[in-house]
Amino acid sequence: MKNLNSLLAGIFLAVAFPFGALVISSQVQLGSLGPAPAEEGGPLFPSREPGLAIQGRAVYVSLGCVSCHTQQVRPAGQGSDIARGYGVRASVARDYVLQKPVLLGERRIGPDLANYGARAKELGAVHAAIKHDGQFTFLYTGAKQEVASERAVALAAYLQSLRQDYSSPEAKLKQ
Amino acid sequence: MTQENRSGRPQGRPPEGDSRVTRTEVQLRGPFLLFFISSVIWLLAASVLGVIAALQQGSLAGAAFRDCEILTYGHVAAAQHNLFVYGWGFNAFFALNLWLLSQLGRFELRNGWLATLGGVFWNLALTYGVVQIFAGNQTGFALLEFPREVGPVLAVAFLLAGFWPIVAFARRPTGHTFASQWFVVAASFAFPLTYLLAQLLILWQPASGVVQAIAHSWFVSNLLHLWFGASALAAVYYFLPKVLGRTISGYYLAPVAFWSFVLFAGWTGPAALIGAPVPLWLQSVGVVAGAMLIIPVIITAINFHGTLSSEGGWSRAWNDTTLRFVSFGAVAFTVFGVLNAIFSFRGYNAVTRFTSFAAGQEQLLTYAFATMVLFGSAYFVLPRLTGSLWPSAKLVHVHFWSTALGAVASIVALLVGGWENGKQLADASVSVQQIAKSTTSWNTVLSVSAVLLLVGHIAFALNAFGMILKSSAPASAGRHD
Repeated sequence: MKNLNSLLAGIFLAVAFPFGALVISSQVQLGSLGPAPAEEGGPLFPSREPGLAIQGRAVYVSLGCVSCHTQQVRPAGQGSDIARGYGVRASVARDYVLQKPVLLGERRIGPDLANYGARAKELGAVHAAIKHDGQFTFLYTGAKQEVASERAVALAAYLQSLRQDYSSPEAKLKQ
Repeated sequence: MTQENRSGRPQGRPPEGDSRVTRTEVQLRGPFLLFFISSVIWLLAASVLGVIAALQQGSLAGAAFRDCEILTYGHVAAAQHNLFVYGWGFNAFFALNLWLLSQLGRFELRNGWLATLGGVFWNLALTYGVVQIFAGNQTGFALLEFPREVGPVLAVAFLLAGFWPIVAFARRPTGHTFASQWFVVAASFAFPLTYLLAQLLILWQPASGVVQAIAHSWFVSNLLHLWFGASALAAVYYFLPKVLGRTISGYYLAPVAFWSFVLFAGWTGPAALIGAPVPLWLQSVGVVAGAMLIIPVIITAINFHGTLSSEGGWSRAWNDTTLRFVSFGAVAFTVFGVLNAIFSFRGYNAVTRFTSFAAGQEQLLTYAFATMVLFGSAYFVLPRLTGSLWPSAKLVHVHFWSTALGAVASIVALLVGGWENGKQLADASVSVQQIAKSTTSWNTVLSVSAVLLLVGHIAFALNAFGMILKSSAPASAGRHD
């Protein structure tokens, strides 16, 4: 305690050791995950996002949507995510390997969006959802806010691209 | 103050300072006031944004700002959070930590201009970052929302502005050390390390997939515990014995509190990821660390409440402005620690997850504990540095009551509202619309408490700025005692 060097060394270890054990070791464990087929020869999931969806993610980040929406489905037994229809299975780490940045979120002021693309059947419903009963009008033009701006089109494409309804090696769907 | 001078240095008690303004204080007056004034300005800005954000949450559809892209909730909430943490929390603790370790180590800050330069950089980078958030240029990671070019500037500014306590510790003339010194050294050393590593792995060289979220949870828990928590604990360890004129009870336990706090705090991050698509062992580590954090909480409770409980300490604390705020904070820290230990367990966490509960816990640590302690410290330190009295006793009362009530109301609303909300969310038969309806009453409480906090902060700012303006010469004789 009296010696600055040993005090600093102790603090350094107390910061560095958890960093190594929590962050670096999970990078070792998960860093090499990539899209993979659920069964040999099957299609690769998660699939690459369309370019428009990547632009839409930038809109999602820029508007701070993450402050009200999560993108993660908890396993059955923890909360009611699957019962609520937020997803058909729990999210797994592999679902996020192509996402930059990963937007898991911490608050559910609105519904979870991890599997929104599978729930939203048509584009009109997606735009209605983006408008949140009269909000985000700046994304639309026209007398009745019926014309979507470029950003709204991209955001809708991104929301439609959010799907976790495929089988992956860690989370197989029941046939 | 009743302080008898003893010849030997008693354990569990900071060294007797000169009751008049010391030379060390004259030297650090400039940087201290820069940090302090900017912190209060940011606090006011954050509280105005806090009111706007609370109103927006209360009436999601009918918000007055719904046509305004700049003031959309995702911008306001992020800017408020960052201004409160980096604007208020950091500037204020730069000032307090520097003063504290200069006093304890009799350190004369000769290169005050370096600290001032760091403060200027820090506040300019912060201003730029917040403007960028409003302009829609944010990263999506809580408390790392600033565009990534801000990070290195903040890190350099921190080294210039926030590293002096370590220098003060290294240059202290005596071998003896006091608990406050360990905690401040830990805060000043752990933060830049954490910040740089988090910047690197999240924004500059993003780790793959959910590892970003793991690094982020590690960063946030370190920021909250090792900057806010450790800095504020240092202040409590100093002011309680100082103002009461007695030793900390059970002081021999303080080293255990320090090391267990520093040791376990770094592991608690993944408790914020329970149920998330990250390895299960990580989540369990977070839960265990959260529960182990009860050890330093119990020891600090023995230290603080034991000191306050003997010989009418509570009533003396109530009648002293500094101690009234500081002991409010000390109680809040104990409550925070107990809640943190209980609610990191999976069963409870599954209910409170994704609700306002976590925000309530954060508010308990950063506001009810750290901010109240900072207020109390300001009432002690500012009169010494400016050489004048607090202009209005009435404003002090307004400040205490509105911040105390606002803090309690907002924390109860966030915690209880979060728990109720979580119970409903767990029941799949309750629709999202029904849940939204039942949270409106809690949102009203949150709006009222945001206004209360703003009123309290305005009262504090008027008083503090009035006092700073009144003092023309540094270190004159008329110190408030």
